[in-house]
Amino acid sequence: MGNEKYAILPCNGMDKEAGALARETALRLSARQAGEIVCPVLYHRSAKKYGKLLESSPLLVIDGCRTACASNLAKESGARITRRLNITDYLKGRGIKPGKSLELSTELLDETHRILEELLETDSEEGKAAIAADFTAPLEYETFTQDKYIFRVPRQGFLFNENDCWARVDGTRARIGISDFVQNSASDFLFFEPPQVGAAIEQFGEAGSLESTKTALDIISPFSGTVVAVNAELAEAPETINGDPYEKGWAVELELADFEGERELLMDCPSYLGYLKKKVEREFHKKERE
Amino acid sequence: MDMQPKKVGVLSCSGEAEAEGTICRNAVRLVMEKYRPDVVTTLCLPLYLAGDTGEREFAKKFPVISVDGCGKLCARRATEKYSGTVQDAIDLRALLEEWGVTEKLSRSHPGELEDKLAERLAAEIVKRIDAIIEDGKIVER
Repeated sequence: MGNEKYAILPCNGMDKEAGALARETALRLSARQAGEIVCPVLYHRSAKKYGKLLESSPLLVIDGCRTACASNLAKESGARITRRLNITDYLKGRGIKPGKSLELSTELLDETHRILEELLETDSEEGKAAIAADFTAPLEYETFTQDKYIFRVPRQGFLFNENDCWARVDGTRARIGISDFVQNSASDFLFFEPPQVGAAIEQFGEAGSLESTKTALDIISPFSGTVVAVNAELAEAPETINGDPYEKGWAVELELADFEGERELLMDCPSYLGYLKKKVEREFHKKERE
Repeated sequence: MDMQPKKVGVLSCSGEAEAEGTICRNAVRLVMEKYRPDVVTTLCLPLYLAGDTGEREFAKKFPVISVDGCGKLCARRATEKYSGTVQDAIDLRALLEEWGVTEKLSRSHPGELEDKLAERLAAEIVKRIDAIIEDGKIVER
């Protein structure tokens, strides 16, 4: 990574000081590396515009604050983020509290030099290992109701397979879990059997199994990859999945093998929601007939 | 402390793809920080698109001027999609034609010409803000 030029997608910097610093950092890095800036809005509107650039360059996203608009717009557009930098977190580490003004102080302008030095130094020393996946951003949900059941589907950042398992992708990593529909159907989970860390999983292969009061089921992985972590909390409290299937109830974390090649076989939120509605209606009609 | 309500929203092109976009964002900052700081609230387009309810609600309740750098009209179309009609819309490329500006503009190395155009555009935005105020449309919708 050290010698590669980044494509840089920054915060727009029109809301807070940290955003303005994110943009300034992006402009300076772009000038230093002769790297391209990716407009978050235009990319969101027309991802094809940057198709060639993003095929050939690693993508660095620079967010101003924890709202992480730049990251969210990039993910929503299907970008594979190579590296992410959050200016507010960086400044916190340096004991600096950013304000509201968009006019950058000399102190903050000086920080851009430090940020760039640290960024490029980390690149050359650690390469891709420096990429930290972040699965903590708060989620917003689409919901629909059938009888007494409410089904939730996260609006952004998730991809689903027809087995009602999801993948939440961040950079080269993805967390895998089961959907709200499965947890509703299966009732309270009693056991979680995780795969071995280090195991290779095929797309649509088994990534652990679950047993509930009603049934036993396999978690069918939406992506192929290597298991880099399993959710240890589920061994003690598998019912966590029932309460929070998309966040605390994640099962497995993968280092992805072929994101671009495999994502075409998966559904985003609107597609999955449509698929799920039909499936739920079928299930309920079937039960009514029985 | 400034206690006056800020009631006209200006939503600018992000300005990362084209020189005209960068001029738009610079002009909007001039309006917000220098020319009409007490009247204008600048809405952040990526934040708006990312689903921020505060930005979208503001644009539903108060008059909004979209300021776009080119015919893609990202700012105008986003406003119309999520918050309803814009009160006024500026397309800088159309204005440049009107002003007879034919020189090639630079995004990465803006100079005197780009700065002058940002000032001229800021004046145009101010004119439109003032017209909205005069029309009495500054009140909450």
